Amino acid sequence: MKNRLEFSNITKAFPGIVALSEVSFCADSGHITALLGENGAGKSTLLKILSGDIKADSGEVLLDGEAQNFKVPSDALRGGISVIYQERQMVASLSVMENIFAGELPHNKFGVINYKKLRKEAQELIDLFELPLDARMTVGRLSVAQQQMVEIMRAYRRNSDVIAFDEPTASLADTEITILFRLIKELARQGKIVIYVSHRMAEIFQITDKIIVLKDGKKVADFQTGETDEPTLVKAMVGREIGDTFNKLSRCTERGDTVLEVKNLTTKKVTDISLTLRSGEIVGLAGLVGAGRTELARAIFGADKVESGEIVIEGRSTRYKNPSGALACGVALCPEDRKEEGLVLSRSIRQNITVSVLSRIRKFIFLDNAKEKKLSDIAVEKYDIKTPSTGKLVGELSGGNQQKVILGRATNELMATKVLILDEPTKGIDVGSKAEIYQIICDFAKSGMGVIVISSELPEVLNISDTIYVMANGKITGVLSREEASEEHVLELAMAGQ
Amino acid sequence: MMTFLKSKNAILLFFLIALIVIFAALSGGGTLRPSNIINILQSITIVSLLTIGAGTLMIAGEIDLSLGGIGTMSSFVAALLLKQGVPWFAALVAAVAVGAFIGLINGFLVNELGFQSFIATLATASITTGAGYIFTSGLAVTIEDPTFRFIGNKLLFGYIPFSVLIAIIALIVYAMLLNKTKFGRSVYLVGGNRVAARLGGLKPKKVLYGLFINAGALAALAGTLLASKLLVANTVGITSSQFAGLTAAILGGISFGGGTGGMGGAIIGIMVLSCFNNGMTMVNIPPYWQTVASGALLLAAITLDFVTTSRRNKSEVKA
Repeated sequence: MKNRLEFSNITKAFPGIVALSEVSFCADSGHITALLGENGAGKSTLLKILSGDIKADSGEVLLDGEAQNFKVPSDALRGGISVIYQERQMVASLSVMENIFAGELPHNKFGVINYKKLRKEAQELIDLFELPLDARMTVGRLSVAQQQMVEIMRAYRRNSDVIAFDEPTASLADTEITILFRLIKELARQGKIVIYVSHRMAEIFQITDKIIVLKDGKKVADFQTGETDEPTLVKAMVGREIGDTFNKLSRCTERGDTVLEVKNLTTKKVTDISLTLRSGEIVGLAGLVGAGRTELARAIFGADKVESGEIVIEGRSTRYKNPSGALACGVALCPEDRKEEGLVLSRSIRQNITVSVLSRIRKFIFLDNAKEKKLSDIAVEKYDIKTPSTGKLVGELSGGNQQKVILGRATNELMATKVLILDEPTKGIDVGSKAEIYQIICDFAKSGMGVIVISSELPEVLNISDTIYVMANGKITGVLSREEASEEHVLELAMAGQ
Repeated sequence: MMTFLKSKNAILLFFLIALIVIFAALSGGGTLRPSNIINILQSITIVSLLTIGAGTLMIAGEIDLSLGGIGTMSSFVAALLLKQGVPWFAALVAAVAVGAFIGLINGFLVNELGFQSFIATLATASITTGAGYIFTSGLAVTIEDPTFRFIGNKLLFGYIPFSVLIAIIALIVYAMLLNKTKFGRSVYLVGGNRVAARLGGLKPKKVLYGLFINAGALAALAGTLLASKLLVANTVGITSSQFAGLTAAILGGISFGGGTGGMGGAIIGIMVLSCFNNGMTMVNIPPYWQTVASGALLLAAITLDFVTTSRRNKSEVKA
């Protein structure tokens, strides 16, 4: 049994971003230690270092004073560390007991599994935690909460000294959360070192003993849970300086007519959304991951099915059923995941820029190569895409340049885009390119488009948008102007109803 | 020019020339005799049509294993209609329509029911082949229609098989379709990244319907042409050609991953396969060993594909 986990001066940089900078803190056996911070504060990176998934550039992870050197996740597991992620890591087609004992199934010398013994031991574990499960159930048929319980039992069975939870309540209902908390408290009572990552204030006060606050990759504060309150924590989480980047932006000051009006829009993922966007305006959608911002964008873009409500573009009510129809109405979307949803990596810059306008670059029935080349040359020049030629494969470009190719596709002169939706336009992009992209977004507004920006980085969405809609649980919980919006206020609205 | 020399097509072309030279030498010039070249050209016709159908689907990231079955069934439809005294043109159109319809079913299974194309077309392959047997109780149906005889066997100017003209025209048309039209471009984009293609405003389902229907129609045409060449519709002929079609597409650099390859490579692939098979016969390699050698050729092609793709991926990582 280990008594103390210590992070000592952990630093980790990714290209263009310092994810963690000299982070040090301890977590003790029998206690639940919370890691609190906004999206991008470095919580997940820290967990990945703990689990051996990635390696820190410098600094050490120590158990009872002994430096650990985990090269791969299986090293960390053997070292007594289990991390329970948001996504379940189990074999869905196998039973509860097989998953709990995965890798160490009781067997005889011929390798034949002793199912009787397996079932007995698994059931003992289930009874110990008083869970409503049967050892023989198939994991794939269990609810998310039940699957999580199985995963916790697996970590317990491995005799892990450290058990870390990454946003464990993200997809659980209230009653399920109660059971989960009982389980976590039981683990602490048995002397485990428990790490609890979350950005939900209420539950942090409910179950943790100690709180570590991370911001922009640095540890900014630590508290004993009993000695602090919510406003103090929020202030520690968000109180950051905003650089000059945003003050230097040349913004659009003129507002035109309403280009987009969403009335009571409801889909499977979002409920009763109403929103207005004027020409020249930048509307920001703020909220936590999973609040339904991407889903709202997809609904407006015709990518997801609309169940009720109305989308009005330039005063005309429209009903399109797919992205192709949305594009025809002048609505364009630049998706969050560039590689999976935005670009065809195996094709050239040119072919990616013209995806949406193929019908308009035809001579008779044939594609006009000269026109295509001209169109993409203009985009390369306008957005300063760094490439030797437009024939280069998009997969060979850097993240910032790939993002510019998507912007070029959504706004080229044949598109007549009136409503442009940008989902996390600066995700994974280095600081220099970010500033460029902010200016490009302002230029879109100046050219008369209405722009919707989704961003999980609060300073970004607060400073670039003219109006901010805050979402939580698929609903809009507040609408603020840039002047009214403070990080504390937005965060409060984003956590509404949790 | 340098980029061409480094490309997969250049390697293939070199391999094709080497193949021709080697077999010519081994057969004492036998493979280059006009009568043999006619043989090669005739064999190309059937394979070409199947390669176009299978290859375009592979570029879009799907596969069709039912082309042999469709060809068999359609050739029976044509032969039986001719026996009933239906005019040649109507019989041909009916056969092609049947093929297109099966293609539509394949498209429906993949698009609307979400089956993997491998499984969906494996099922329709079995159904169509079985249906062919049922129509004819497993017996061959002879073809006596003079126009069909002409299409299948006529040599223009004494040397050029009429049917090969059909294949050449088809190859040119589809090469242009793929490289020059919106539909062709959509095939590559859908194969490269279906989600991105949809969010870019394309309609992947529509593209796949088009390709499955097209492949079915071409397979029906191929089956009917084979029957008109042999003057009999039977249950064995086209099935082996189906695998030749897939092999030629893979040889020609169309990968299973989708999004890459083209008609240029496919044409060379068809030539390589036909010359290889013909050459083995000409130098008297026993038929059983020919089958083994065809398999080895396919393995070699996939290895080439793997090596060049992984080399490309490595250079991507560096960049």
